[in-house]
Amino acid sequence: MYDLLCEGCGHRSAMMLLDEIIQEKKIKEKTILALDVACCSLLIDFVEYDSIMCAHGRVLDVTKGYKEMKKDNVVISYMGDGAAYSIGIEEMIHSARRNDDALTIVINNGLYSMTGGQVAPTYIDSSNLGFKIEEIISNFSITYLARAALSDKENINIAKQYISTAFDKYMEKGGFSLVELLSPCPTNYKLSPKDAANMINEKITKVYKIGEFVNA
Amino acid sequence: MKRLLNGNEAFAYGAIVAGANFYAGYPITPSTDVYEFFENNGEKYHVKFVHASSEVSAVNMIMGASIAGARALTATSGCGFSLMQEAISYMAADFVPCVILNVMREGAGLGDIPRSQGDYNQMTKGGGNGDYHSIVLACKSIRDCINMPRIAFELSEKYRNPVIVTYDSDIAHTKESVEINISEIKNDTNELDWILNGNKTNNPKRIQNIYYHDKGYDNNLRNKYELIEKNEQRYEEYETSDAEIVLVAFSICGRICIDVIKKAREKGIKVGLIIPITLYPFPQNAFKKLNCCKKIIIVELNILKQMRCDVEYYTKQKYEYHSINSMSTCPTVLDILKYIEEMR
Repeated sequence: MYDLLCEGCGHRSAMMLLDEIIQEKKIKEKTILALDVACCSLLIDFVEYDSIMCAHGRVLDVTKGYKEMKKDNVVISYMGDGAAYSIGIEEMIHSARRNDDALTIVINNGLYSMTGGQVAPTYIDSSNLGFKIEEIISNFSITYLARAALSDKENINIAKQYISTAFDKYMEKGGFSLVELLSPCPTNYKLSPKDAANMINEKITKVYKIGEFVNA
Repeated sequence: MKRLLNGNEAFAYGAIVAGANFYAGYPITPSTDVYEFFENNGEKYHVKFVHASSEVSAVNMIMGASIAGARALTATSGCGFSLMQEAISYMAADFVPCVILNVMREGAGLGDIPRSQGDYNQMTKGGGNGDYHSIVLACKSIRDCINMPRIAFELSEKYRNPVIVTYDSDIAHTKESVEINISEIKNDTNELDWILNGNKTNNPKRIQNIYYHDKGYDNNLRNKYELIEKNEQRYEEYETSDAEIVLVAFSICGRICIDVIKKAREKGIKVGLIIPITLYPFPQNAFKKLNCCKKIIIVELNILKQMRCDVEYYTKQKYEYHSINSMSTCPTVLDILKYIEEMR
């Protein structure tokens, strides 16, 4: 599945979860997948949904325009942490402020992976403090905000539960939902897939807490 | 119904009559009347209005709306138009239609808000990255502002390409009495075959501009622009068949030059006029019909003589070329007439 992705890439786990959830909820025929650039764009030739390739950081604007015209469709805004929290943070904040009907999936691996692993605002070490979206948008009147990790079976089950909740909230209540998925990038971490996943469990989740932050 | 409207209000009414149903925007002078019109009247005319947080957001929202089948538009000026270039390039590559009004500002950078035509190169040559053009339509009167949105939406849907409508702030803020018929409004969502509405046939549709497997991307783009250049040149011509001197001017300058040729003819000087309506595709066909022309005068409001480069290129430099140009000081009819008389 998703042949262009590297071995152990979190995008593969994330897309397989989305595929499962969309199948279980029987909503494939009304799903639109809006993708950001770079590694996200590697998915576009493989997904079975109507899909849109957006400019970097502009997925939430494109989905806002789409959703205003076709309210019955399920529009997934799928992006990496660079798009969501760096170049697209303005769009993210205003979409949350307006409580747009948005179903946002953020793949957070702390790096700009396609370009070779440069540090993103989410990167953490002694001089980089990271970027926690719950500290920015939790006070807006949004519908749902959660974080999970794509690091092992247990965490992936939690991720599926959160994403599924976000879908239900989006379809039943509307408003802004976001699930951030801590995601391994073995290629740029220069670790094996197993060690990359372990690093997320042992180091990343100590700073980026797993859980539901808003569930309105 | 007769109404006294300025160019911006006329453009907004024209867009409604053309079936517009989505507007996202950010205010910037001298285009703000259009934003305010849709903010205040959008609901009445069934146009969804969104306050975007920037021009970058606005243009990406109209891209999304267009992919859902909307007749989507925005209006902007100067630096706001610059901020939209990335998305315009994406839409050209994605084959997504949209209409963008650019009311030109003076100068570079922030510049100022008097009449000017300095965005000619940016609009006609691309402005964003890569191999593409926007179709560019220029209005020279309030009547044009009413009619141009319909032409713009038709062209943008026919070629699935962004269309820029443009004029300068003289046209934006001059009021004229014009006939409008708002009872013709059709603003249903388009259901064209490429619109995304969910994969119902096991054949997913993709709005994409990066291709890992499909090799048709370059040919698709090349064919699009070849067809546009072949089929869509638009211009107005006045008394060109026997003209020895031909004026070339668009928007407010074109309007002024109509009076110049009348006065010149009264004096027995054989002057003609070509007003480009499409700035891209450049109306080179208009020049093929010139029989007696020896001299061409390009009247434009920018210091770099931007349109003159196109005129010289497309006429293969076979005439004597003159420019009457400045950043924002519009020549009067008498100024141009005096120039013609001295030039002879």
